[in-house]
Amino acid sequence: MVERIEDLNLPNAVIGRLIKEALPESASVSKEARAAIARAASVFAIFVTSSSTALAHKQNHKTITAKDILQTLTELDFESFVPSLTQDLEVYRKVVKEKKESKASKKDSNTAENANASATATAEEAPE
Amino acid sequence: MASEELFEAEFSEEQDLEHQQAMETEEAELAETEEPLEITEESPDNPEAESTTEQLTEKPVTNGNKAPADNEAKMTQLPLARIRNIMKLDPDLHMANNEAVFIVAKAVELFIASLSRESYTYTAQSKKKTIQKRDVDMAISAVDSLLFLDGAMNF
Repeated sequence: MVERIEDLNLPNAVIGRLIKEALPESASVSKEARAAIARAASVFAIFVTSSSTALAHKQNHKTITAKDILQTLTELDFESFVPSLTQDLEVYRKVVKEKKESKASKKDSNTAENANASATATAEEAPE
Repeated sequence: MASEELFEAEFSEEQDLEHQQAMETEEAELAETEEPLEITEESPDNPEAESTTEQLTEKPVTNGNKAPADNEAKMTQLPLARIRNIMKLDPDLHMANNEAVFIVAKAVELFIASLSRESYTYTAQSKKKTIQKRDVDMAISAVDSLLFLDGAMNF
């Protein structure tokens, strides 16, 4: 039980920052309130997950996808979240794609660098 | 002097090579671990996406390059590994792809912001500036979509 509760914890610093960003500058949050919001957030994550799992089972697939999460949020009356999440997902996919591409080009440039280094070493040895 | 420089250059090259090999080994192991499941259950696009995302996650540990870490930090403030672990508390969950974990993380961030603002309306009504737990409790009671939190807040 203790282990399970601890597993629910999200990092306090991040929770605090997210809360602060949502509020006017003059506002502050008591420790108890921050703990309550953090707990609610963890429960929300599990609630969305288990609802998405149930949805996926109805549709006969086992792996939960972003589409399942978005559909679940709509059904759970959090449809106001969906537009910005859809935008975030597009950005995410773009970043993942760019990352893959930059990695591929990095390998090419590494090969080129090695070739240059060998040439340089050979050139330096020549005078001796 | 010249020979020392030459030696240092070679040494650093070897180090780079070893580092790269270590990373490639990790990637290979990762691919081997994940591939059997992914082949059965996911479309071809997803395995690559997951693989890349895992690398994003790994970057901070290797300290190889800060830029990707910054990118990831900007995309979600909550750690994706923690979100995934919370999701796994659902015994019926078989697997969630990386996009699903990402979307849940972003949804949680929106939820925190939304609940904070709702709670603050009760704080402001009391002419106060510090949100108290009772303000959060009242916000939860007042919003229909937060009914799932009843009882869940008392463990």
